[in-house]
Amino acid sequence: MKIRFLLPVLAVVYLAIPYLWGGNNYVMSLLVAAFIIAGVALAWALLANLGGMVSFGHSAFFGVGAYLSALLCINYRLPVLAGILMGGIGAAVASIAMLPALRLRGPYFALAVLAYANIFKILAMEFKGITEGAAGVTNIPALPTVMGFDFSSKLGTYLVIVTIVLLFTGSYHLIRVSHYGAALKAMHDSEDATRVVGVNSTLLKAMMLFVSAFMTGVVGAVNAHYINFIDPDYAFDLGWTLLPMVAVVFGGYRTLMGPLVGAVGIFMLDQLVFKALIGTGHQIMLGAVLAVMVLFSPDGLVPLIGDKWKRIRRAQA
Amino acid sequence: MFDLILQATYSGLLSGGSYALIALGLALVFGTMRVINLAHGEFVLLAAYIAYTVESQMGWNPLLALPISVVVVCITAAIVYLLVTRLDKNREMNSLILTFGLGVILTNLVLFIWKADIHSTSVGWFQEAVVLGPLYSMRSELLFFITSVVMVAILWVWLDKSWYGRAVRAVSSNRDAAKLMGINPHVTELISFLIAGILASFSGVALYCASVIQPALGNALTIKAFIITILAGIGSIPGVLIGAVLLGVSEALTITLLSSALQELTGMLLLLFVLLALPNGLFGRAGRRG
Amino acid sequence: MLKLESINVQFGGLAALQDVSMEIDSEDVVGLVGPNGAGKTTLFNVISGLVRPSGGRVLFNGIDVLRKPLYARARMGIGRTFQIPQPMHELTVRENLLVAQRFGTGSVNQSKIDEILDFVRLSDKSDRDAATELALTELKALEVAKALAIQPKLLLLDEVLAGLETGGKRQFIQMLSDLHRQFGIGILIIEHDIETISSLCKRVCVLNFGELIADGAAEAVFNNPEVIKSYTGESGA
Repeated sequence: MKIRFLLPVLAVVYLAIPYLWGGNNYVMSLLVAAFIIAGVALAWALLANLGGMVSFGHSAFFGVGAYLSALLCINYRLPVLAGILMGGIGAAVASIAMLPALRLRGPYFALAVLAYANIFKILAMEFKGITEGAAGVTNIPALPTVMGFDFSSKLGTYLVIVTIVLLFTGSYHLIRVSHYGAALKAMHDSEDATRVVGVNSTLLKAMMLFVSAFMTGVVGAVNAHYINFIDPDYAFDLGWTLLPMVAVVFGGYRTLMGPLVGAVGIFMLDQLVFKALIGTGHQIMLGAVLAVMVLFSPDGLVPLIGDKWKRIRRAQA
Repeated sequence: MFDLILQATYSGLLSGGSYALIALGLALVFGTMRVINLAHGEFVLLAAYIAYTVESQMGWNPLLALPISVVVVCITAAIVYLLVTRLDKNREMNSLILTFGLGVILTNLVLFIWKADIHSTSVGWFQEAVVLGPLYSMRSELLFFITSVVMVAILWVWLDKSWYGRAVRAVSSNRDAAKLMGINPHVTELISFLIAGILASFSGVALYCASVIQPALGNALTIKAFIITILAGIGSIPGVLIGAVLLGVSEALTITLLSSALQELTGMLLLLFVLLALPNGLFGRAGRRG
Repeated sequence: MLKLESINVQFGGLAALQDVSMEIDSEDVVGLVGPNGAGKTTLFNVISGLVRPSGGRVLFNGIDVLRKPLYARARMGIGRTFQIPQPMHELTVRENLLVAQRFGTGSVNQSKIDEILDFVRLSDKSDRDAATELALTELKALEVAKALAIQPKLLLLDEVLAGLETGGKRQFIQMLSDLHRQFGIGILIIEHDIETISSLCKRVCVLNFGELIADGAAEAVFNNPEVIKSYTGESGA
């Protein structure tokens, strides 16, 4: 991201929005929820764009992050911020279980990961001794008050999640322009060719999976401390995969800003328009957006691992 | 204990038979188009809700809903097919996202029309017990199983003997070669989608008679069908039958021996085991999954 | 019968075929030779419909077939084989031919199938599973038989002899030389072995780097210095 883009973005996010709506809890709660989706969307897009993998199982990372952070903070009195970090690390560790799926091709990977997500949900449901089972975890500690500023307020949480999402965006950017990013790009063109020149493609993919899982886990943890209550159905809800996926397909997954803009846009549309117009079953519009984008948007998900993209890239090279 | 296991195996066999009917549609489309139709469970759901409507609104026996659901579901299937064919780039991956989105649309359409309440048939006849020696089942379960067996047999004969059945097999085994033999793949693909719709209609109506239905069920059914398709391996009908029974029996044994909450876990673990350990499924030809 | 008019095919920035024109008559048995990567199989793909050229026309009996899909071209009478046999798995040998005949010609004629099976010497293997129970020679024979079952007017044979051991090869060459006589169809053969080509074809076309560098009587073509150069320079075959 260029500096001349960065400064206005920072100004809007840290100054204009808090100044305009900082006192309006409704707007702030919408923005917090939107940026939580944006965080997961970014992680999802990173895996899709750099790793070339479409995941139907990001709810697993989201739930693991939420549960781990909540339980560590309740049972071991860990500070909330340390808990959130552990949530991310825990999600990355959980993704180790998915490593065998990396050798599967696209759709099989996507659905194997869906199976993993379901398994995690069932485990959270069944290990009642640790997770309280279906009853869920209550009284999760809120974000702390630092130097007199209450981060558990709507505005405080907004600043936390926005900062995290921006940090993730920066990391994503750095990975993309690093030699890892270059190797991953080359990998899309020809996995065999990169293997020949000594790029370990499975290791690279695994690293992207770890990073993506970590990011999703952190966001899940923040969300848990924000709403103070989780149960398996909520924390591992397929919606944590669906909404970010729609956001990414909507915003375009190949740019840094696509997932963020897509997430905020689609979330606001869903909450303010679809929900108001349709009520029960408003998710129908999310399905419709997904279908329409895949069908008609040439620059949404279409070029993913696609032949056409390869051809264009070769033509440009 | 032995009685329990025997009963569980029997129940598992019956539910496995009904899974087979659901899974065959998915497997057939997967075979001809290499597309995993993630909206397939919603086809079944749609038929089940039509059966519910016929019973609750018209007071008819839900079995009479079959012709209507065949028509409605087949039209839906044809629409899904037409949309999928519009994807020309990276169809394997994008069709997954597209049909996932279409599944969300259908689920919410059901939610929108019929609300989130749980429904089951009030026709008492279906719930009556059938006792075979030491084994017990409901009439509806047995009916579902028998319907499955009959439909599978018909499908088998059709695939084996009819020209379009052979064309479906030819396209799923070698698409380019089939085209060079003068087979129009679009026709066979549409046919496989329509057959999937017919099978889903029978499954849906039977499901309503034998069990409880709710909008969230579609997704779970798709996942079960997908697990069975992967268990079976590409293009193996006997594989689908055995995979379905395997899933049904393992689930039933899990419920009996461990806990009903772990039922879903069984299927997931089976799926992962086959995906990771058996590259071609239990019975499939050399696939191209890795 | 088949007329190619300045066919161009690009793969990325690479020209796979450049301005290739040729005509094949229903009486012709033509050999298509050239070093590896010269574009021979690409030309087959253009004619049968697997590759759409960036320029040029393909006329079959006067009809431009470029916009027609594979299966329509097959029904018009363009049959082809693949270098790596592409049987339809799960179908028996006979079923492979029946399906080809039914969908390629629109009708079924069992005695014609028997004739083809007999011709490619697969009569006793007709109930075998095409995917799992055939040896390579038999798979190659099935490949030819499938193409014959659609009753082609033009048959494109892509290295049907490659990979066969000497005995099977001799048998196959005999079969190929009977092919034209028995079925009366135009044939275009890709083959590396010049001796085989000389024995089967009166006319030979040579592709080099996507360009048609020679087209004429076999003897004249093989004595053409440019052709010799392309061969010795590229593969030494």
